[in-house]
Amino acid sequence: MEALANNFQVLFQGLALGSIYALVALGFVLIIRATNVVNFAQGDFAMLGAYMMVACLVGAGLPYWLSFLLALIGMGVFGILFNYGVYYPLRHRGFLPVIISTLGASIFLQNTVLAIFGAQPKRLDNVIQGGVQIGSVFLDSQYLVILAVTMVMVAFQYFLFEHTLVGKKLQATSQDKDMARLLGIPVALMIAITFIYSAALGGLAGVLVGPVLFVSIGMGSIIALKAFAATIIGGFGDVKGAIVGGIFIGVIESFAAYYISVPYKDAYAFMMLFLVLVFRPQGFFGERVSEKA
Amino acid sequence: MLFSMMGLVAKSSSSIISFFPDKVPAEIPPYVADMKVRHLLAMASGHAKETGPALFAGGHDLVRTFLSIPPDQEPGTLFCYNQGCTYTLSAIITKLTGQRLVDYLGPRLFDPLGIDQTYWTQADEGIDLGFTGLHVTTETIAKLGIPTMIGGTDPSLTRVNNRWLFRCRPNDLYSSRVIADFGVNSLKLKKWAVVHSTDAFGSGGSKALTDALMAYSVEPVLVQGYTNNSQDFTPVVLAIKKSGADIIGTYMTNSQDLGIFAKQLRQLGVNATWVGSASIVTDTAMKLAGEALYGTYGVADFNPDANDEAKAFSKMYRTKYKLEPDVYSSWAFDAMNVIATALNGAKDTKPENIRNGIVGLKNWKGVEGIYNFDEAGDGLRGYNIVKNDNGKVAFVKHINFEK
Repeated sequence: MEALANNFQVLFQGLALGSIYALVALGFVLIIRATNVVNFAQGDFAMLGAYMMVACLVGAGLPYWLSFLLALIGMGVFGILFNYGVYYPLRHRGFLPVIISTLGASIFLQNTVLAIFGAQPKRLDNVIQGGVQIGSVFLDSQYLVILAVTMVMVAFQYFLFEHTLVGKKLQATSQDKDMARLLGIPVALMIAITFIYSAALGGLAGVLVGPVLFVSIGMGSIIALKAFAATIIGGFGDVKGAIVGGIFIGVIESFAAYYISVPYKDAYAFMMLFLVLVFRPQGFFGERVSEKA
Repeated sequence: MLFSMMGLVAKSSSSIISFFPDKVPAEIPPYVADMKVRHLLAMASGHAKETGPALFAGGHDLVRTFLSIPPDQEPGTLFCYNQGCTYTLSAIITKLTGQRLVDYLGPRLFDPLGIDQTYWTQADEGIDLGFTGLHVTTETIAKLGIPTMIGGTDPSLTRVNNRWLFRCRPNDLYSSRVIADFGVNSLKLKKWAVVHSTDAFGSGGSKALTDALMAYSVEPVLVQGYTNNSQDFTPVVLAIKKSGADIIGTYMTNSQDLGIFAKQLRQLGVNATWVGSASIVTDTAMKLAGEALYGTYGVADFNPDANDEAKAFSKMYRTKYKLEPDVYSSWAFDAMNVIATALNGAKDTKPENIRNGIVGLKNWKGVEGIYNFDEAGDGLRGYNIVKNDNGKVAFVKHINFEK
């Protein structure tokens, strides 16, 4: 009975952590689909969103939901700045300069936040205090919120891409910008929308994860590394893949840490990445390059 | 000496403002135009008060700020310790040679002395501070043969055959001995779980704690490592639960890890007594973990209530700086007083005599505890046990070892 309870506890934690990876991985996927580049500052979007929440909630003493709203709006505005400051000037220079630009932005963001807020990590309280106790299993309320929000965002993003005109325009922009332009799709606007949404999504992940992992300069980098692995495992640029990949990594590393070894916890995610790259390089849901061609 | 090495003796009478015409205020303050290199070398710029604090409060251009502070009397007529003088001389050397002070001194001073690794802290404008901030290795300190007080706690620092290093904090080996002693002898708990970061600090601490427990014939029921920045401690907490430990000893490096572990430990119903290394009572960890750390114990080499000296020092510190004293202020305070005591007792200022004075101190009472320096240079052999009493750090007891 105790073993079952422990396994359930580990599964719950794995699902919750996996959901966080999935949320950040969704942000990766959005930008990959719209611009064909990997945004290495995606993790820092989460960090920035969490600090905006800290500034509003703790710094300015605003109510929780107003702070939450302001942090997301702030991240949306930041998405516009990011688009025009980091991506737009280099959009015609291939993917490498853009990737380097996002790396530079990541360093810039971390150091700017460091200069403003200092090096000490900050505390954010749970949206709902406490949790649910089932026998010896404890379900932290914040993890339950993360699971619920992730499910909602997954459904929303699936709906956006597959069933709305804006989503189709975003996909068209991703597949062939020239053709999309010829078809009358405002490509620059579509890309700007992608950055706004992606920044807000990253910020949302940061606000949600802040109460459990605390708010620190490095919080985004730690999550982003796993989320990036999730993006590749799931299938580069695939929405379903990002979610499945994120949850897969979260659950595998939790169980492996419990049953095999805690200190090697981080290694399991990358071991999975390695195995997937060897045996199924296109990821769980990705297309084979030959098929795409 | 530097200026003679540079062949600038003739310029010791040079006016300071001649080196920095672009940094002189439009209206030159009185006496500033009279300041010469020799005045700065002798710290006789005419300022009656140290200009250092004003320089750092005045922005990024420290020389400009220095030249805007009018001396109180004619340069050369008053000695006053003044960091601004030394800093400006460092800036002059950089201006004349195009080199940083540390680079300029390399072939002329450090290399002939056999000092090969140096680093000098710079001000924002890229000038070596000059008055402080020169970093050298312990090998260099051994070559120089000048008593040097240190506050690093890595045990190996005083195991490098350097008779000129003196440590004014207990080394890390004592923290593990104190944790073990307190848990086993004071709390009478024998089922230990040791949780540690797998970095050098955590692994070293874990080994030392395990060894210290073994000295009391206590073998931990669990020794569990984790990597820094772990986002989830569920497997660790479940392992502790399974082990049936009634006391947890920790060496955790990051405050975030400590906070996450503390929260999950309580959420999953583990109420074992917890005695941690110093990180458990840092302000950051206590803020992050909040209630989850209430009732836990930690070791601290400084506590304001640990002894009469600490109480008196804390009172003075709060009055003067309007801040709470911490370990960094306390060990430095002890270090200065140890040197002063040794100097007062020595017949002259020869390094060997000062060293003998330091080693000769017996049961010298400092704010960090009672000092008895051994030949290796370790002065303290104990730690305070403190308790997180509903968010406040309360002194419990001081545990000291003979050796």
